[in-house]
Amino acid sequence: MIISRTRSGILSMVSAIVLALLVAPSAQALDLKIATIAPEGTAWMKQMRDGSKEIKERTEGRVNFKFFGGGVMGNDKKVMRKIRIGQLHGGMFTPTSVADVYPNMQLFGMPLVFSSMGEVEYVRERMDSVLIAGLEEAGLVSFGFSDGGFARVLSNTPVTSVESLKGRKVWVPEGDLITYNTMSALGLSPVTLSVTDVMTGLQTGLVDIVASSPVGAVVMQWHTKVKYMTDFPLAYLMGFMVVDKKYFDKLSEADQQVVREVFGKVYAEFDRQNKLDDRAAFKALVDSGIEIVRPDEEQIENWRALVGASNLEMADRGVISRELLDKMLGYIDEYRQSQAGAN
Amino acid sequence: MRMKRINSKFSLLTLLALLALQSGCAMVMDRVTGKMAGNLSSAILNQEDPETVRDGAPAYLLLMDSMIEGNPESASALGSAANLYAAYGAVFVEDPERAKRLTRRAREYGLRAMCVVHVPACGWAEMDFASFDADLATLTADELPELYSFTVSSLAYTRANSDDWGVLAELPKVESALNRLYQLDSDYQSGAIHLYLGILNTIRPPALGGKPEVGREHFERAIELSGGKDLSVKVEFARSYARLVYDRELHDSLLTDVIESDPVQPGLTLFNTLAQRQAETLLETADDYF
Repeated sequence: MIISRTRSGILSMVSAIVLALLVAPSAQALDLKIATIAPEGTAWMKQMRDGSKEIKERTEGRVNFKFFGGGVMGNDKKVMRKIRIGQLHGGMFTPTSVADVYPNMQLFGMPLVFSSMGEVEYVRERMDSVLIAGLEEAGLVSFGFSDGGFARVLSNTPVTSVESLKGRKVWVPEGDLITYNTMSALGLSPVTLSVTDVMTGLQTGLVDIVASSPVGAVVMQWHTKVKYMTDFPLAYLMGFMVVDKKYFDKLSEADQQVVREVFGKVYAEFDRQNKLDDRAAFKALVDSGIEIVRPDEEQIENWRALVGASNLEMADRGVISRELLDKMLGYIDEYRQSQAGAN
Repeated sequence: MRMKRINSKFSLLTLLALLALQSGCAMVMDRVTGKMAGNLSSAILNQEDPETVRDGAPAYLLLMDSMIEGNPESASALGSAANLYAAYGAVFVEDPERAKRLTRRAREYGLRAMCVVHVPACGWAEMDFASFDADLATLTADELPELYSFTVSSLAYTRANSDDWGVLAELPKVESALNRLYQLDSDYQSGAIHLYLGILNTIRPPALGGKPEVGREHFERAIELSGGKDLSVKVEFARSYARLVYDRELHDSLLTDVIESDPVQPGLTLFNTLAQRQAETLLETADDYF
């Protein structure tokens, strides 16, 4: 009796070792290095790290995400390059940064298409999955998008009409072709600068208009250099995290599921929290003395006509898919009609 | 004889009471409360058991409140109270809501101290950035202690409210005040201004407008000014700069140095003891971070 127990004990121990050896190759830990511009110590970084801790525990140490915050890996362009050569495995981006890989990511950010968050939510409920699938097909796995609010005009003299824009120097982020074209269509003189040079640009008069979300304006402290904000949505902003599919595919099906679930949850939370932050930052700008101006309806129609034509023209040139643009505009119409019907 | 003594006592009291009614007295009282506040501060700062301070300091805070109630125009009492409330709220209070409350009081005292010595400061909270900046330029070295209290208490308040966009939008004002202090006397408070400038320049990464290398210079100067004895500067250098730029070697060597140093130094013992604890935590979490 005793002997048989010992024997079965030894046998099971041996089989456990054999099993462990067999399982070992796929159980090898995979470190996934992710770069982001989000500063250390922010709520975003804390939640990403909490997420990666959960993933590490649930995959028994097989999947380990490492985050490099604060843009220490360089700007988005450099990060994309590092992903291509395998030095990094992913990053947290805005749509322009992945435009080379999947141009349609810029769809929701097309200028002047949305006029309210209600429209954005209606479109996103129906089209987020389309873009996520497109991005994955292009080789980047993402876990959902986080809201970045609307970019609005910040300026030193009130901007309420097309005339008040003519010839004015407006900041355009490096590599942002769509914004560049739009600003030109509106009769502005676009000045391309890196984000970090905008403050100096405002101080020296190199630029006199910037477009930014309220959160962006407070973080970059641009609100100390402007007097007015035009309360009119220029473009919808968002952010997302991607992992290079090459590396993601190395994970077992079950581990992939854990990563998708955990970061999906984190991004849904970002999406929710960012909407609150957007409203709070808007109020903070007003409280800090920024005056809110509104263009009249006629001017808005004027802008929409100019920019709408430029959007279609860009789609026809292949900057983004015409089919997806039409689909999005269709949803927006649908939403507007439902709202008009409800009122 | 006895009657006389009582009478003279009485007259002394009367005299004090009379004096108290006169504006000249404010000066005397100011010196007394200011001196007492100063003594309290140094007793606290030389304590080597942080828990004693954590548990005992609230009594001192209440005492400061009562001193101010009795002498609401004392810039030095207001300034000392702002400094103490700021330090207590920022360092010893773990409950975020309490930290907000206590640092709000710190900032109110700091602003009142400023308002006593510089009337336009009474309207600072409502000023836009450009007017505020212009007013700072009119300050002189005479207002240095009050500007320091205002700035330090505002920093503590900002830190406790870093989830509040309204407070973050006011951060440029605090930075401006700190820069003005730096212009007036860069080495004031044995390196404290450099320490705060070090932290502020490393809050944001370069990609978002931060200047880590400028921050590094300030940290190094702060270490130099304290003769390397202020361990909290080294901890902050590691936490703010080394972590931001992912310099593990610098991070670990600063923190190891802190742990191996003698924390007992006049005026620094309390914060050095706390710094050593923080250094241990930072070293323990370094593998996860880097």
